[in-house]
Amino acid sequence: MMARPLYVLLWLSTAALAAGCGGAEKADPEPTPTPAEAPAKPATPDDPGLTAADLKSSAEKVALVPSPVETQRALEQAGIETSLATMIPTHDFDMENTDVDHAAIRSGVVLADALLTVKTAEKKDLLIRLSRLQKGLAQLGGGRDIDHTLTDMKDRIKADAVTREELLKEFDDLSGAAIPELNFNDQDQVVPFIQAGSWLEGANLVAKAVKEKKTPAAADTLLKQPAVVDYFRSYVTVQGGKHAPAVVTKKLDESLVALKALAEKTEPFTAEDIESIIKVTDDVLALL
Amino acid sequence: MIRLFTTALFAMMLQTTPGVEASESAAETCLRTKVWDGYADNWGIRTMTSTELEAGKTKNYLVTLYKGNEYRITTCADKSVTNLDVLLYNTEGEVIAKDSTVDREPQLEFKPTETATYYIVLYMRELDGKKTAADAAMAVVYR
Repeated sequence: MMARPLYVLLWLSTAALAAGCGGAEKADPEPTPTPAEAPAKPATPDDPGLTAADLKSSAEKVALVPSPVETQRALEQAGIETSLATMIPTHDFDMENTDVDHAAIRSGVVLADALLTVKTAEKKDLLIRLSRLQKGLAQLGGGRDIDHTLTDMKDRIKADAVTREELLKEFDDLSGAAIPELNFNDQDQVVPFIQAGSWLEGANLVAKAVKEKKTPAAADTLLKQPAVVDYFRSYVTVQGGKHAPAVVTKKLDESLVALKALAEKTEPFTAEDIESIIKVTDDVLALL
Repeated sequence: MIRLFTTALFAMMLQTTPGVEASESAAETCLRTKVWDGYADNWGIRTMTSTELEAGKTKNYLVTLYKGNEYRITTCADKSVTNLDVLLYNTEGEVIAKDSTVDREPQLEFKPTETATYYIVLYMRELDGKKTAADAAMAVVYR
């Protein structure tokens, strides 16, 4: 927009200078120059012209993994009214294990449990889960800001200064926005492993819910997620190449291989498939 | 990439910590308001993220969407944006949903008929004349 007036001004100045220096000699008439139009902004096409290959190579995976609460809703849509929160076992976590992979997967499980129970849990149980999450994130190098946020949350819960509805928003925010954006000292696998922990806990609970209801095929829409499994495996494999993977990482990989094979089944899940899912997810969770 | 984490963190801290100022963009503030307002209608958050996009460029996200759940892709862009588009592609590269508005806060609603992976595409169609890039924020919410 600003280019045209400047150009016109320059052109007028040049024309006046030429007229003033021309003397008496009559110059051949020259065609009047027309000020050039500023180049029009090319219109962007309606369609960005992306191919499947473009999308595959460029897509970020920050939004790939469903949240545990979202899984609960999908479970209800599939006709299973079981509350996953009621099926969460008492986890006896090794909170002193500071191995990065262990701490990340464990924190993911704790986060899933906190999300699923935020509206119903006893205050003391909620505080225990938040303290475990806080400790895990500290072990992972989550930083002071997230630590202060969790301390602040716990203080408000202790003082009954926050409603469960507000807490649900804040937990969702932690899970869906805050934690995925943390840097964790440039350890790339941490966020995917936290997500893997949450997803595995969700898969384990869903499998147990459909087993209880004797409706294995209902899990088809919930657990057949090969892209999610591939995403987690890509980090397990990279980690394995860097250093000897932790025991839990090796077990996680074995479980993901089994879950990938099940996720690619074209036939509906059978009772045996559900038993397999429970076993392979239990195997990982037992190491935490 | 803009760190929406800062937004989330400080938005929470702001509730109880006087004097703490959030360093979030207009796009992020707008998005957070919409997402949190959505809780009243039973929408929960899958993810919230933000980015800087040049005119004519896209940002693409892979998502898994569950059969049976309703999804809304909510966006907000800075004031310098005159037209932001949001599109949903299947894994074959076909557009299956697209917003039809000329504005900076488009949204899409989608109810999958099967659990599958899709691509969400943010497409910066038009900025005002002075800017070459602007912030855009995107959330996937469900119910």
